[in-house]
Amino acid sequence: MVNIEKVVIQNQIRSLRFDAGGLTQQNLADRIGVSRQTVNAIEAAKYFPSLEVAFRIARVFGKPLNEVFQCEWFMK
Amino acid sequence: MSTSFEEKSVWIQLTGMIVGLGAYFVVAGRMAAEGVRAMPAYAAVFMVAVVAMVVFLIVAYTLAALIRKPEPSDERDRLISWRSEHNSSWIAAVGILAAVTCMVFDVENVWTANVLLLSLAASEILGFVLRIVYYHRGV
Repeated sequence: MVNIEKVVIQNQIRSLRFDAGGLTQQNLADRIGVSRQTVNAIEAAKYFPSLEVAFRIARVFGKPLNEVFQCEWFMK
Repeated sequence: MSTSFEEKSVWIQLTGMIVGLGAYFVVAGRMAAEGVRAMPAYAAVFMVAVVAMVVFLIVAYTLAALIRKPEPSDERDRLISWRSEHNSSWIAAVGILAAVTCMVFDVENVWTANVLLLSLAASEILGFVLRIVYYHRGV
C-alpha cells in the first residue's frame, strides 16, 4: 500500500478563460451554474468543486478534465 | 473580490444574533443580579429581543437585496453551511446536557432556560463565524 502524505490539486481555469477570448468569471459561473465567488475560489484553489462542476468547466472549454485540473501526489 | 449574497446573509444573521440576543443576555443578567426569578419577566424581555431581531433581519435583507440581486446558493455555499454546522453544534449539545443536569439537581427553571438559550445562541454564533472563516480561508 502506498502512503500518500499530501495531494495538491491545481487548475488552469484562469489561463483557459483568457485563451477562450477573455471569458469572465461571471460568464463561466453562469454557464456552470455556480456563483462568481465560487469560480474565484476554485481558481485560487480555495475550493475543490464536485465532479459534476469539474466536468461542466471542462465542457465549457472543450478540454478533457485532466487538462483543466492537475493533481500532484506527495508520498511519505 | 465582492462578497456573495450568501456571505452577506451570514453577516446579517451574525449581527442580528449578537445585537438581539446580546441585548437580551445583558438585560437578563441584570435581572438575575437583582434577584428576579419569575420566568414570565424573562420571557417578555426575550420576546422583545426576538421581535427586534426579526425587524432588523427584514430591513437588512431588503437593503442587501436592493443593492444587489440575490443569487441562489450553490454547492460551495452548501458545503460551507454543512461544515460550519458540523463544527459548531457541539456547543448546543453541551448546553442540552447542562440543562438536563440543572433539572436533575432541581436548579431554578430560569437558570435552566437561560443555560439552554445561551448554548443555542453560542452554537449559532460560532456557526456563523466559521462560515465567514471558510468563505475567506477556503474549504
